[in-house]
Amino acid sequence: MTAASTLALSHFQAFLFFAAVISVSFGFLGRRRPKDRLKYILWSFFLFLVVGIGIAWVMYPFSR
Amino acid sequence: MIDENENKDLEASEPLAELSAVERKATPMDIQLPIPSAENAARAAANEEFRNEGRAFATGVAGWLLPGFGHAIQQMWGRALVVFLAVGSLVYAGASMRGNVFTSTGADAFDYLGYIADLGTGSFYFLARSIEKNGADVSHAGGDYGTRFLATAGVLNLLAALHAYEAARGRKA
Repeated sequence: MTAASTLALSHFQAFLFFAAVISVSFGFLGRRRPKDRLKYILWSFFLFLVVGIGIAWVMYPFSR
Repeated sequence: MIDENENKDLEASEPLAELSAVERKATPMDIQLPIPSAENAARAAANEEFRNEGRAFATGVAGWLLPGFGHAIQQMWGRALVVFLAVGSLVYAGASMRGNVFTSTGADAFDYLGYIADLGTGSFYFLARSIEKNGADVSHAGGDYGTRFLATAGVLNLLAALHAYEAARGRKA
């Protein structure tokens, strides 16, 4: 494996990557039917975004 | 299972009772067959349950050692693939971002907790260590995110292994 190079992700990219991976995993583990899985994945991903950006927005005044 | 006709033939043939105890061989009638009872049925059911429990436990351990394998054994291909890719991508990203791959020689309780979380990735723990040849660098945000990705991969894999175990036990999953 020659992946010693550093992977550079911005804050937002890392956030999107994390939200996507966890949403898809929970969707597949928690639901059986494809339609239910898709709904769960989209809803979970949306909530990740809303909550993450919401917390970031609340913390912004204290960030510097 | 003893054939009834065979027993009748034995009864009607030579008088076995006249033979001495030394000469006489055991006949099928001498074998004490287990009498079906509620107790025996319960014991058989308990043994079967124990075997199923052992099989389910082995499935969970397999899922922990190789992410997705616990589901693959049960032919849950979609879940197996998703777990494998999710844990694999988190480990790869975390190690490539130079996150902290904790070892057993931790300095404090948080290091041990991190070690336990990282061990949750099973065999991928060694993959992470092989990727991260230059060591961890948590002086920048990327390294810190990488540490979280690795820990998340471990906990996610433990959750998936538990899910595979429950599915193997017959719980609706």
